[in-house]
Amino acid sequence: ENSPAPLPERAIYGFALFLGSWFGFILYLIWAYVPETWLFSLGLTYWPQKYWAVALPVYLLVSVGIGYILLFGINMMSTAPLNSTHTITDNFARKQQQKKFQEEAIPALRDIPISEVNRMFFLPER
Amino acid sequence: MAEERRFLSASGVPIALRRRQHSASCRELAVRGPRLQLRSLSAATSAVWLAAYGLFALCENSMVLSAAIFITLLGLIIYLHFVKIDQESLLVIGSLGIQVTSAYASGKESTTFIEMGQVKDVVINEAIHMQKVIYYLCILLQDPEDPQAVSEVVPLFQSSKPRLDCLIEVYKSCQEILEQRKTAPQSS
Repeated sequence: ENSPAPLPERAIYGFALFLGSWFGFILYLIWAYVPETWLFSLGLTYWPQKYWAVALPVYLLVSVGIGYILLFGINMMSTAPLNSTHTITDNFARKQQQKKFQEEAIPALRDIPISEVNRMFFLPER
Repeated sequence: MAEERRFLSASGVPIALRRRQHSASCRELAVRGPRLQLRSLSAATSAVWLAAYGLFALCENSMVLSAAIFITLLGLIIYLHFVKIDQESLLVIGSLGIQVTSAYASGKESTTFIEMGQVKDVVINEAIHMQKVIYYLCILLQDPEDPQAVSEVVPLFQSSKPRLDCLIEVYKSCQEILEQRKTAPQSS
């Protein structure tokens, strides 16, 4: 099953990821700070330009900031406008079947049309 | 027979609802918003002119000042003619139709007529509008093929946006007229 309990395999995966992330971080620091001449003297010549050591974090942070605004905008765009029928009904409600009314039984669950709801709420009881 | 009551709009500005009964099956409901205030007009004009004067002090070009005056005048005319709605009214004539009129501050009136055969019902709907959930009155138009389905929703009182207490008054008045069309075929 899928239980969140700690297992020996999960401990191993976690430790491997921990070591891997530390290794990646130390590698990034070496690439960003150690001068190119020292790296060339060691024989390691195939590195990306050091420009990217600064550019990639900046790209990441700017996209996180834009992501907030983008998500907000997408939400506003997906909201149905006031004149659309999606505020009243949808495909499931249109195709629902009426079950027959039985005495002394709880009525079946259904989507009540908006005219009926309005009459119930806003017109005084007759 | 006319009566006027004061309410608040969704954004808090005072509006007035005027109900007139022309006959047993004809009613007119008009919602009037506040007029253009002198203080907001002078605030906007002074802001634009101060900004133009600041720009003129920077670039020493006197065309900026005349352009600012021109922009202010043009902006005011466009605002009064296309944006500022003074009164929105609903005229319900049983067995004929519903007429929706918007009167702009410049005197322009825009009218829409919906015949009674197309009107399914007038309901108060709630929907999400700009980070708020508002109640608004709308006319449901019915599909010619399927009498049970709603083909279109026409929202009313879009610029004055009355609150629920005002909408309930309008809703009750409209329903009294709309109910007559169910009983009328039997009585005639």
